[in-house]
Amino acid sequence: MESDLNADLAAQEAAAREYQPHLEGPLVGDRTPSHVITEEYAKADPVYVQKTLALPQTYSHYRPVQGDGNCGWRAIGFGYFEALIRTGDASLVGAERDRITQYPILDHSEMVYEDMRDEVSILMNDIAAALPNQGAAMDVLVQKFNDLDVANHLLYYLRLLASSWLKGDPNANEYLGFIPEEIGIIGYCQNYLELPGREIEHLGIMLLYNVLLKPCGMVIEIAYLDRTPGPAVNTYRFPAEANGCDPSTLGPIMYLLFRPDHYDILYPHPPPTAPVDIQVNRASSFSHEHQITPNMPSLQNFTEVDLSALSLIPGLGLNPGVPSMSVSTASSIESYSPSPQSPWMPTPFTDSLPIRQQQPQLKQEQSVPSLRAVSVLPQPVQRQTPPLRFSEYCHPQLAETYASREPCFTTNTFKNSHFNTAHYNNPNFQPEEYRPELDDSFYEVARPTGKRRSH
Amino acid sequence: MEDIQNSAPGSVPAGKLGARKGADPSQNAAKRLQTELMQLMTSPAPGVSAFPSADGNLLAWNATIEGPADTPYADLTFKLSFEFPSNYPYAPPTVLYKTPIYHPNVDFSGRICLDILKDKWTPAYNIQSVLLSLQSLLGEPNNASPLNGEAAELWDKDPTLFKTKVMDRHKDIGDD
Repeated sequence: MESDLNADLAAQEAAAREYQPHLEGPLVGDRTPSHVITEEYAKADPVYVQKTLALPQTYSHYRPVQGDGNCGWRAIGFGYFEALIRTGDASLVGAERDRITQYPILDHSEMVYEDMRDEVSILMNDIAAALPNQGAAMDVLVQKFNDLDVANHLLYYLRLLASSWLKGDPNANEYLGFIPEEIGIIGYCQNYLELPGREIEHLGIMLLYNVLLKPCGMVIEIAYLDRTPGPAVNTYRFPAEANGCDPSTLGPIMYLLFRPDHYDILYPHPPPTAPVDIQVNRASSFSHEHQITPNMPSLQNFTEVDLSALSLIPGLGLNPGVPSMSVSTASSIESYSPSPQSPWMPTPFTDSLPIRQQQPQLKQEQSVPSLRAVSVLPQPVQRQTPPLRFSEYCHPQLAETYASREPCFTTNTFKNSHFNTAHYNNPNFQPEEYRPELDDSFYEVARPTGKRRSH
Repeated sequence: MEDIQNSAPGSVPAGKLGARKGADPSQNAAKRLQTELMQLMTSPAPGVSAFPSADGNLLAWNATIEGPADTPYADLTFKLSFEFPSNYPYAPPTVLYKTPIYHPNVDFSGRICLDILKDKWTPAYNIQSVLLSLQSLLGEPNNASPLNGEAAELWDKDPTLFKTKVMDRHKDIGDD
């Protein structure tokens, strides 16, 4: 009996030990347009939506890094070599190779780290040989960082550099606040820095900055994408003195994107882009439009063109979802910052979010007669989405968002016609999905309409 | 394992499970294990030894530990097996007692409960340091997290009975 139990426990332990999270994608991915992140968060918490919408304004691209517990080390290591390549200076790469391969690794026999050190040396030689062709050098770097064998060596050498810095730093006491008291510096090295697959922490970044980046004048800027209130990501630079400085006065900067427990690499727009003038659309004749219509001229055209036709559809003007939209203009303008870099995105966002937030005000709005005339206008925007919309195969999560919103803007006449995508005769036929949570909001909105009709 | 795509171009594609027995260990692991083998031969530690298994697979080793004097395991010799993952030394080897052993931290299948073989593993450990840790575990079991509860209890309560159980359980095994 007991041995059965033990065997069970052992089996469970073995399963836990051998468990490997399912990781997708390369260790270090390709440069990807940053609106992909926006897309990823399309259905997330509004704070994330807002921040990721603003992200492409500052950063044009990002490079996904695999989240296997080494991502922070991987991102900074990659950023370091990439920054070296960007200098185009082969002799600098050679000097850096000598510096970091000769750095004294403390408390370990050479047997432990010689292979890792050799791998660093080989990589830097290869990079130096490829320069001044930066493209070829980047190919070398990406290939090496995606070879698991090589990458393991490279990243572990970074861990050893950081822990050796900590052990050898005469000012190590400064770091004690970051180290659990009971384990001390040596324990921190063993249980955090030198544990393969253990996430980097703030202290690890400080150490890696000191040992790897500071001597060659590099700066790390981390953009924190979290749920702290604010219109955009918060950024912080290592060293602290670099915060608030003009980037042109600083050395090479590597940009990282931090999401809780994960780091990716970011790339800002090459020259700082002038802020896009989103006032253009606000000046349009419809006072409420800037909220619904993103800064997308084409969309506005649709609005005007199809207006008359659509207003002929019976019952359209009574549509419940609309009054709420015109309401929120004043309050939501400040909080919403449209993203010029992702032209496909604003429609689904802009109208769905404010609506939900504004629902409680619905009843008051009904009493304002002038609203009715205006309220027809936003609808064509909604109706016009199908031709503009990407296919669901491009953006499955979006297609879902879109489909789920449809009922809010549907009259019975429309719903039963083949213009409805849920109708089997529609060329973009997409069956409706039953969503209890949406049903609720639908009825909430629908009730007042009924009243109004009976007047 | 998971690094099929990382094997050297031109290497024989190993079957999914064949990788373990196949002659295609990752270069990292092979290089490191060769270094360790060299170190074990040039500066052996007293009371422990290890060597790659006879079939020429560098990812599988056999090892022996001699029971330390002044412990219930004095004068006994234990055989163990080591299996190395292809990403060794970034993951620990799987170590088993082949010789039946009665010990608080070893179960009846020979599986060992030792933190450095699990979540405390770092590439700084090696075969020799693992063997020395296991040797010291013979004299100082970790009775707080036993795999063999009875042994953990008897270790403190009844050393004589413990010793008897150790001797009953021990059985020399041949080289297989």
